[in-house]
Amino acid sequence: MRKFLVPFLIVLLVVYASFTAFISKAMRQPPETFARVMAKMPGPVVFLMLPFETLWTHARAGNLQAGDAAPDFSLMKLDKSETVQLSALTARQPVVLVFGSYT
Amino acid sequence: MAFLAVYILEAHPSDVWQMESNIKDKVVFASPKDYEERSLVAGACVRKLGIKFPALLDGFENSTEKAYTGWPDRIYLIDAKGRIAYKSRPGPFGFKPQELRSALEHLPKTKSGSQPMHGEPLASLSESGRQR
Repeated sequence: MRKFLVPFLIVLLVVYASFTAFISKAMRQPPETFARVMAKMPGPVVFLMLPFETLWTHARAGNLQAGDAAPDFSLMKLDKSETVQLSALTARQPVVLVFGSYT
Repeated sequence: MAFLAVYILEAHPSDVWQMESNIKDKVVFASPKDYEERSLVAGACVRKLGIKFPALLDGFENSTEKAYTGWPDRIYLIDAKGRIAYKSRPGPFGFKPQELRSALEHLPKTKSGSQPMHGEPLASLSESGRQR
């Protein structure tokens, strides 16, 4: 019995490590690619098996840090009334940006 | 103090990664096929969640989302020198309006000496966070 237990545990560990590496790599792909990978996973398996939040926080850390210059952008308002340039706004006041979508 | 919503690509479109909770809340949308379709979903979002501050629409090539690693949701505070004063961890886990509140309290006072108005936007932010 002992003869089989150790190889079995090693195989289990390798499978777990490979799965973690696979998900972690998927998290670093463009959002839609990652979403398609996750959609194929059965139920909440990934969330329960892996330290999902920790992996996600690392994978999506991004390049910007506190103190960095905020990348400028110029985007149309949803009501199409005007284009807003970030740097023009921050020249006058602090700005909070809330990224998100409906779903 | 200005609050801006930046509407980015969907987190859980029905054709990619459907969430049970979104079916329950009747928030079921397929991936928008172009900028115009994204603007329609964004408009529905702003109306339904009653978002009180101006919403901007990211380009369909997602350049702003990429620059800020904003997906699926995230909060930034940019100070009056154009520097990042606060960056939340990536959502949904890292989307914490109360962290923003504390970052706002640490901003240098405005020249006029008046407290910046942010109570109402913050409250609506916490509310939309709960509804998701």
